[in-house]
Amino acid sequence: MTVNRHPSTGSAVTVKQWRYTATGGETTLTGTDGFSQSLAYTVGAEEVYVNGVLLERAVDYTATTGTSVVLTNALVAGDIATVMSANAFNVANAIPNSTVTAKGDLIVGNGAASVTNLGVGADGSTLVANSSASTGVSWAGAKTQNVILNSSFDIWQRGTSIATASAYVADRWYGYRTGGNVTFSQQTGSNQFRYACRVQRTAGDTATNTMYMYQSLEIADATPYAGQTVTLSFYARAGANYSATSNGLTVKLVTGTGTTETNRMLVLYTGDTTLISSGVTLTTSLVRYQVTATMGASVTQFCIGFETNPTGAAGAADYFDVTGVQIDLGSVALPYRRYSSTLQGELNACERYYERSTPGVAYGKYGQAYYNNSSSQVVCNVEFKTTKRVIPTSIDYANLRIQQNGIGALGTISAVSINIESTTKLADLTVTIGSGATNTLNPIELMNDNNTAGYLGFSAEL
Amino acid sequence: MENVTFLDVTQMDGTTKTFAIIDRGNGEFTSMPKADYEASTLPSELSTPTTPQAGA
Repeated sequence: MTVNRHPSTGSAVTVKQWRYTATGGETTLTGTDGFSQSLAYTVGAEEVYVNGVLLERAVDYTATTGTSVVLTNALVAGDIATVMSANAFNVANAIPNSTVTAKGDLIVGNGAASVTNLGVGADGSTLVANSSASTGVSWAGAKTQNVILNSSFDIWQRGTSIATASAYVADRWYGYRTGGNVTFSQQTGSNQFRYACRVQRTAGDTATNTMYMYQSLEIADATPYAGQTVTLSFYARAGANYSATSNGLTVKLVTGTGTTETNRMLVLYTGDTTLISSGVTLTTSLVRYQVTATMGASVTQFCIGFETNPTGAAGAADYFDVTGVQIDLGSVALPYRRYSSTLQGELNACERYYERSTPGVAYGKYGQAYYNNSSSQVVCNVEFKTTKRVIPTSIDYANLRIQQNGIGALGTISAVSINIESTTKLADLTVTIGSGATNTLNPIELMNDNNTAGYLGFSAEL
Repeated sequence: MENVTFLDVTQMDGTTKTFAIIDRGNGEFTSMPKADYEASTLPSELSTPTTPQAGA
């Protein structure tokens, strides 16, 4: 008798019947019956009848061997003993428990009416949807903050278009080129990205020097990634005249093992290792790319960046745009997120490294100044909005003046320098002017020189 | 065109510190210790692509 059939094993469900006519006195049923059927049953699945009456297991009989049954009461001649037993079988469409092989394994679908085993993930990992995986899901590292600052290029305190051979451009990002011209600028993004960074060769430029854009991380931010598998992801697109061979863009992740904070664009790391150097092929649409690698166990610092090798003479749109740069633990790029969930938070994080005040009003004030025992020097205190990584050493400024109430502007500023009394919270500046400062009680101020474009910036960058 | 001048400023502890004042030529200036300025002007192309750029 067939009950059902398993879809994959095809094992039929049959019920065997063994029937024996007693000669009298038998207490053990075994061997071949009158129909040449050997007694064989699945222990616990047998049914034993005498003359059609079902016996009670362990009371009326004992059946432990699979090939014999011991009766409590001996048979009488002419009794008909019957043993019924079904073979082991599988229920239709049931998932065999052998699909999983270890603690924590999961049974997942890998297609219509098809399942497979997904091995347990590493401790602390999370299960995420992953359309590129055959199972549609993957184990990912724990979701952490995106350690790349200004990863969607919202913050450009130094200006939103910077032509430079070697300088910080967008906050935390360093632009570099040894020859030719390159401009780093904030551009409108697409989809969830408000902005992207454009790295563009000036039209007509025939220099083929590599153009670089990198972000180097602090040791405190990089060290937690030691020994971890990480996935670097980003969105990028090419301009219509992008000249790199085959529309290629190189993405890199370089690690170090040193103990000195380093801008990798200017100084090699101790134990400098290029962990990722991967080429991607850009299109004119913003597309996400990702690369996975495992950090060395002793990594203390790393940087990520993009490089392109232009060819020929630059056209009007010889550029690449990049945005949405992210580092995730594990081998899956999680949905993009900024370091901070708010723009203000992202700005504050960037100001740890560089802070520029741009009052935007003609006489916008930066701080109070004081007579410094000289008509040509005053000292000025400026409080930082955000505590700095280190005491700043570099200052940039434009369109400033020193003004003393009752006297007016005190000549032209020839220098602003930062004094040893400065801290990570306050700048103590010496401002050198032509002359005119007086030792009176009239307040002295550092302010914009009747110019809304005036600014004062402090750098505590790597 | 950048124009760099150096300025000695006497500090609170009596020492003299030399600063580089970089005139960017467009009304913008950068000030930093002379040693930092000199370090930033050293040749420093450190990263050269080692793989073809085409192909993911």
